[in-house]
Amino acid sequence: MSAAVATLVFCAPGYPGGAGDAQPFVDQFAKATAAAAGWNPDSLAAVYDPTEEGGLAKLRDRESLLTFVPYAFHVQHGSELHLSPLAQADVAGVGTQERWTLVGKAGTAVTDASSLEGYTILSTAGYAPEFVRHAALAALDLSTNVKIESTGQILSALRRVASGEPVVVLLDQTQAAALPSLPFAAQLKSLVQSPPVPVALIEVVDSRMPPSRAKAVQAALLKLNSVKDGADALSALRLKGFTLPQLPANAPKP
Amino acid sequence: MKRCLAVAILASSMVACKAPPLRTGTVPSSLSVHELAAAIEADARRSDMETDSTVRERLAADAASYAQACISRSPQSAACLYYRAIALGLDAKAHPLHASETLKSMLAALDGAEAADATYSQAGPARVKALVLNRAPGWPLGPGDAEAGLAAARRAVALAPSYPPNLLALAEAQAKNGDSNGARATYARAGELSRGLPPGADRDGWLREAEQGLAK
Repeated sequence: MSAAVATLVFCAPGYPGGAGDAQPFVDQFAKATAAAAGWNPDSLAAVYDPTEEGGLAKLRDRESLLTFVPYAFHVQHGSELHLSPLAQADVAGVGTQERWTLVGKAGTAVTDASSLEGYTILSTAGYAPEFVRHAALAALDLSTNVKIESTGQILSALRRVASGEPVVVLLDQTQAAALPSLPFAAQLKSLVQSPPVPVALIEVVDSRMPPSRAKAVQAALLKLNSVKDGADALSALRLKGFTLPQLPANAPKP
Repeated sequence: MKRCLAVAILASSMVACKAPPLRTGTVPSSLSVHELAAAIEADARRSDMETDSTVRERLAADAASYAQACISRSPQSAACLYYRAIALGLDAKAHPLHASETLKSMLAALDGAEAADATYSQAGPARVKALVLNRAPGWPLGPGDAEAGLAAARRAVALAPSYPPNLLALAEAQAKNGDSNGARATYARAGELSRGLPPGADRDGWLREAEQGLAK
């Protein structure tokens, strides 16, 4: 195989952590994946960027052949970047799919989509309004008067809901499952839940990786949890493994 | 993918210093609370400068031993509770995958230190709590809480308004809460105060941090 270095860009907008903190773990993952593909371990490099802008800039680099992104990122940027899913992440404690939950204040007029007009939807996925409107909350047919904003401060956002501000919060499955732990949980109410959607995907960027090599990476990812060093590399990223992608019917096409 | 990206917390100020060699063996029983606290402080400073993860793990273990000895000698003292928290911060930095639980313990130790003596180490308990709450992953992945971090930073500044690290912590918290104008003003004040201090590594570090904050 070629010794040329391909780069895998990890991009997780809205989630905690800086590039330096995550780098050792994504390095470990890249080496394990390359080894599982039968390549030189140094033939696959990885970089992590916690911001949407930074991730997009890295993905425009011609050396960025692969990317690991949340499904929300795929919905928002998949068509523009010509992202082709190779594998679907199986996240520890979550699975290969998750449901998103819209949470509002209990006992107020916010009971359905029609009463959301004038409200702001806050979410870690707020950077991806296409995802919010057409994947997570597709059933609501949100009016254009609903604002969607990104936040990494979910606890603060939920406090704003509880205090009666005109905001609702769209939570991922991990966040929704933790709601009962909040001291003000009784003041919150789940309004609507999304159908199951993928949690995260590894994708080929803009057909930059030849199909034969992409197949090799896919095969490596699918068996990564059973090969030497693979399970450790996955565990460090809180992953259990990968499955073949199963995207919703309305997912954007590359 | 989410929890792994959790930040490791730097619980002490970033300053350069010449650190002593790593201790080997048990903690001498002759060491006073003050000496144990100083030993943890030295480990923390050295860890701040260390790039080798193996050495950071050893420093964290070393600090944990000193902290345990300190707590055994004086379980309710602000010094031992505060430096136990610093030692836990080193552990979180050395073992980021388990950082969330460690940071919760760190915050509990800081609560105890603040209750024992809020003014200890120039309002150190509230200052370090502010840094942890601002930098740790937020709910539900970790104990991070920007609003609580801002409140803690304000307490630190109220107790020791002329100590630049308190203002640096406040500026960071203001920025985290979206108050960029307030953050700039506070970074500027931290810079002014730092410039008025005698030259030294601490002063240079605080000044650099203030200037970096203003440049954002």
